[in-house]
Amino acid sequence: MRRGDALRFWGVLGLLVVLQFSVRSRFGNERVAPDFLLLALLIYTIRARPGASAAVGFIVGLMGDALTPASFGAGALAHAIVGYVSSWAKVLFFAENLLVNGGLFFAGTWLRNLILAVASGKLAGPQLGWELLVWSPLEGLTTAAAGVLVLMVFRQWLAIRLEES
Amino acid sequence: MALGADRYATRGDTLVFLSSLALSLVAMSLPPAIRDPIASGLRRSVLWPFLQLQAQSEELRTSRARFVQVTAERDSAALAAAFLGELRAENARLRELLGLRARLGTRFVPAEVLHQATPTDPLTVVISAGKRQGVRQLAPVVAPEGLLGIVSVTEGSTSLVATWAHPEFRASGMASDGSVFGILSPHGAAGPGGWLLELDGVPYRQRVPFGTVILTSGLGGVLPRGIPVGTVIGVAGENEWERTYLVRPAVPPGAVTHVMVLVEPDAGDLRSVFLPDSGSPRP
Repeated sequence: MRRGDALRFWGVLGLLVVLQFSVRSRFGNERVAPDFLLLALLIYTIRARPGASAAVGFIVGLMGDALTPASFGAGALAHAIVGYVSSWAKVLFFAENLLVNGGLFFAGTWLRNLILAVASGKLAGPQLGWELLVWSPLEGLTTAAAGVLVLMVFRQWLAIRLEES
Repeated sequence: MALGADRYATRGDTLVFLSSLALSLVAMSLPPAIRDPIASGLRRSVLWPFLQLQAQSEELRTSRARFVQVTAERDSAALAAAFLGELRAENARLRELLGLRARLGTRFVPAEVLHQATPTDPLTVVISAGKRQGVRQLAPVVAPEGLLGIVSVTEGSTSLVATWAHPEFRASGMASDGSVFGILSPHGAAGPGGWLLELDGVPYRQRVPFGTVILTSGLGGVLPRGIPVGTVIGVAGENEWERTYLVRPAVPPGAVTHVMVLVEPDAGDLRSVFLPDSGSPRP
């Protein structure tokens, strides 16, 4: 990756991190607002190798765990798995397609919430059901929509070229 | 063209992935005595600028909302000035809106709730007030509707609050008339929008009518007496000597945005603050 491309790529990821902590709460219901931090991770996995994606996922998850210590470690586990699987999925499903990317963003969000909810052991029974069948799909949809929008707006900056990874 | 899946991941990738999993499992198994300082250290270092950004953003949003509200109230007042009766009603409504702050005699610190995007967010939340603002550990955190939780960790300018939805939350509760006492603990989901509490240990011969407001009893010395926790909506179970009642919480932890931390250890009886009809004169 050329230096200019890399700077723009990291700039978009940085923008998503800032959005997470600045405007996310303005999307109304926090439980269905797009998760920009997870989105940044998933976009990062477009270009990164599975190992690096897992490591970055672990770090992102650990940061989230520090803010919600009720599930400490579960977020790191969930993000590491999602990062690794997403990086693989990009190879298998040809990530140049916008809809495929949207599907991966949706699936990544839902899978993250599934692993986090189960691994934390704090949600069970109807709580887990509502989380996985109602809130997580809604959050996945908004995250996917935001992700597709980001890819469309920053298409040139986020050109998906796995062969250059 | 994408790389072939068979040669995309190396042993190094697999090793890093497995290491991440192993570290995650270690983190999950850490006891609170080790886990909490690590989490606190991350919040005070790497995450500090982001928490400040989130707090500033919430404050800005609140300021804008307040400005809009004040503008709307000014317009309303101007309109109502033409009609004395309407003006009185408007005044009563505004007093009601501002009532909690005016009536709350005990010292408190206002704070914004900094929500995170995880399913376990309602269990513990970060608020934008800490030691510098006078917040202490185990301080009650309330919203205008009632109890949100208890401060579990305090830091410089932020604090961690364990809400009533946390599996380890327990509080002594009582009916609003003081006739029935029990132990409050989280129960589970009531639907997509809400979790429930349960009031346990109520003697079988003491019935609690549905709709009864449950308050903190003040027993135990952590929570002051008289903070609304929720409303009885049903019976969760019973045996030969006691009943367990379902309680719909007064404050949904996933939706609350602004709270107050009561910073006086002995706040007394707060029933008159939250329940206007409880007998105490209002200002």
